[in-house]
Amino acid sequence: MAEQSLSGLTEQQAKEFHEQFKVTYTAFVGLAALAHLFVIAANPWW
Amino acid sequence: MSDVAKPKNPEEDWKIWLVVNPANWLMPIFYALLLLAIAVHAVLFSVGIGFQ
Repeated sequence: MAEQSLSGLTEQQAKEFHEQFKVTYTAFVGLAALAHLFVIAANPWW
Repeated sequence: MSDVAKPKNPEEDWKIWLVVNPANWLMPIFYALLLLAIAVHAVLFSVGIGFQ
C-alpha cells in the first residue's frame, strides 16, 4: 500500500483543493470588508 | 516530537488538506463560521451597536 496521507488526499488533490479554497476565502474576506465599509459609512461604531 | 519538520507557511498551507479531508470537514468548517458570525452579530446587537 503506497504512502497514504491522514486525510486520504494525494498531494496533487490537496494542492488543487487549496487553490479553490484560497479563491473562495478571498471572496469571503472581500465581501466582509465591503460589509464593514457599509456599516462604517452608515453607522461608525467608534 | 521536536524532530517533526515545521512547515513553511503560507507556501505549505495546502498540507492541511493532507490531514483534514475537506470532503468530511468543509461543511462543518462553514457551519462553524456561520455560528461564529451569528454569535458576533448577537453580541453587537445586544450591546446596542445595531441598526439605529
